[in-house]
Amino acid sequence: MTSSSTGSRPRKPFARRLADAAEPWLYTAPVLVLIVAVMLVPLVLGLSYAFRDIQLLNPFSGGFVGLDHFRELSQDTAFYRALRNTLWWTGASVFLQFFFGLILALLLDKPFAGRGLAQALVFLPWAVPTFLAGLNWAWMFNPVIGPLPHWMVSLGILSAPNNILADPQLAMWGPIIANVWWGIPFFAITLLAALQAIPRDLYEAAAIDGANPLQRFTSITLPFLAPTIAITVLLRTVWIANFADLIIVMTNGGPADRTQIVASYIFTQAFKRLDFGYASAIALVLLVLLLAYSMVIVVIRQRLIEKD
Amino acid sequence: MASIEMRDIVKTYGDHPVLHGVDLSIADGEFIVLVGPSGCGKSTLLRMIAGLESISSGTMSIDGREVNDLKPKDRDIAMVFQSYALYPHMTVADNMSYSLRLRRTAKEKIAAAVAAASAKLGLDPFLARRPKALSGGQRQRVAMGRAIVRQPKAFLFDEPLSNLDARLREQMRAEIKRMHAEFGATSVYVTHDQIEAMTLASRIVAMNAGAVQQIGAPLELYDRPANLFVAGFIGSPGMNMLDGTMVSDNGTSLVRLTNGTTIALGQAVDLPEGTSVTLGIRPEHVSIRPATGGVAAAVELVEPTGLGIILHLTVHGLPFKIFTSDRALLAPGTNLTVGFPAERLHLFGPDGRRIALDAPDGSGISSLTTS
Ligand SMILES: Nc1ncnc2c1ncn2[C@@H]1O[C@H](COP(=O)(O)OP(=O)(O)OP(=O)(O)O)[C@@H](O)[C@H]1O
Ligand SMILES: [Mg+2]
Repeated sequence: MTSSSTGSRPRKPFARRLADAAEPWLYTAPVLVLIVAVMLVPLVLGLSYAFRDIQLLNPFSGGFVGLDHFRELSQDTAFYRALRNTLWWTGASVFLQFFFGLILALLLDKPFAGRGLAQALVFLPWAVPTFLAGLNWAWMFNPVIGPLPHWMVSLGILSAPNNILADPQLAMWGPIIANVWWGIPFFAITLLAALQAIPRDLYEAAAIDGANPLQRFTSITLPFLAPTIAITVLLRTVWIANFADLIIVMTNGGPADRTQIVASYIFTQAFKRLDFGYASAIALVLLVLLLAYSMVIVVIRQRLIEKD
Repeated sequence: MASIEMRDIVKTYGDHPVLHGVDLSIADGEFIVLVGPSGCGKSTLLRMIAGLESISSGTMSIDGREVNDLKPKDRDIAMVFQSYALYPHMTVADNMSYSLRLRRTAKEKIAAAVAAASAKLGLDPFLARRPKALSGGQRQRVAMGRAIVRQPKAFLFDEPLSNLDARLREQMRAEIKRMHAEFGATSVYVTHDQIEAMTLASRIVAMNAGAVQQIGAPLELYDRPANLFVAGFIGSPGMNMLDGTMVSDNGTSLVRLTNGTTIALGQAVDLPEGTSVTLGIRPEHVSIRPATGGVAAAVELVEPTGLGIILHLTVHGLPFKIFTSDRALLAPGTNLTVGFPAERLHLFGPDGRRIALDAPDGSGISSLTTS
């Protein structure tokens, strides 16, 4: 071992070198162990269910089934309906949350008497637990105890004061409206913060240059907000696609699966039919879809930044 | 090109008054410089001309037309901001052409205007860049370019050079002066810099605490400051101010300083004996080792500026400054004899207003108008 140590530099003994190389790993070991235990183990375990037959009520289940779940899934019309519903639920919720959040942020950006109070009130829905919010909105849509159906009849939106949550054509709007109400503050807060970072003298320079409010919005406000919009819409999309609380509480996927999204379908499979294996397989598909979506957005964003 | 008229312009924020009745007539093609200490309302006045700030009372007119309620874009003026306020998401060329594009000017005209401005300001290599890829001086030029492509009725500048280093500031100052000589555009310029004010202005407007103190040609403010504020504000190093009382002796007046020294005014001044007055003399006008008379003074501190030296002295306990180009006086601790040439003295009455000493008969008392 020492025969090779005749070079210009004397080599340290092997044990010494090993200790040097291991030193940083030893320092980081507690954190690494924690990360593996807390994040990776559950993930791998959960994913492994997708390839196993796990049904809580069947004591003989637990065996490895390969891709059987995925084969079944590819024939499952309820799953495809849930996928379509997820697109609709996510698209409408994110768009409306963003749209109203932006309007709210623009309004709150202008000074007016009582702005501090208004800002505090706007952020209130964010603090309401989602289950409470879901129950609350379910009651409001209920014609027996809630005012909304009667108001909508008066406004001519509905022909009779029925519960829209029970109407297969309209049921999805119930959770979407609750979700929009609940999620506006997120966009309002983040967009307001971005708005307030825009230097005021840019608007003054534009006003002197002859820009009207709309032109000032498109040539100054929008370019400044673009990065924030991109990242918040990305986050919210992933989040809302996975967000089944309101649907579970308000409609439980009904009527006739009209409000079943993939996330609530997973919940139903796992906790109603107690088929954890199949639920895990669906979850894996959803994970892959969302990862693909995130990659696309990240790449687009990167392109935009490079173009700048 | 335009004239600008301000009549009794008042600005209050809530019940906090910021400008108390400013009257100012700016003739077509004039270069007006607003000076005054921080917070005196210079920017506020400039922004009121631009239409960025509402006018609490009074009237503002441009070319004889009242503009109190006119939006900034309808006033046809350009403004250069201290921060430059360049649009960060547009290229230099787009920054300069933005106002023309908003006005739907023909493409060829826009291209010609941008090309002319960028050639004049040396911006050709940067036209395709974003502002963040420019140095401070280049950004400043873009801000100037954005103002001149429009050929507005008037230019407003709010401390446009204050973020540049001394050398660049000197260059741009000359540039601005050249452009004004060429286009003759009416300009209002806010600055803290004495030299900018003196070199650029057709007339300087000295302001303090929201009121105009004096309006006049640069040398007029320098030679005949209307009051103690202007006397102290214009000139660097600042004018020496000595408090004293009037005494008369054989038909000529003297001022007895608080330390007992008397300084002859060389003429009779029609003020009762015992009136408290302030005597002013600029550091560069004090004579060192005068032929006759003179007061002993001790050098306390020496500040060489290259061009000359600033000596801090005490005259019988009163602090005092002299500006001289005589380098032999560089050592602190030297004792000197200093004199106050009567023709260089400024006298201010108890109300702080100037009392003219240069009247031919030597006895007239007149105060310049202040507001
Ligand atoms: N929005 C506002 N609300 C209340 N007071 C204000 C407001 N804007 C300015 N002021 C006050 O008005 C006064 C004049 O301000 P202004 O900006 O015109 O000063 P300035 O002469 O330009 O000073 P500087 O040389 O430091 O730029 C200041 O005392 C300032 O505190
Ligand atoms: Mg200012």
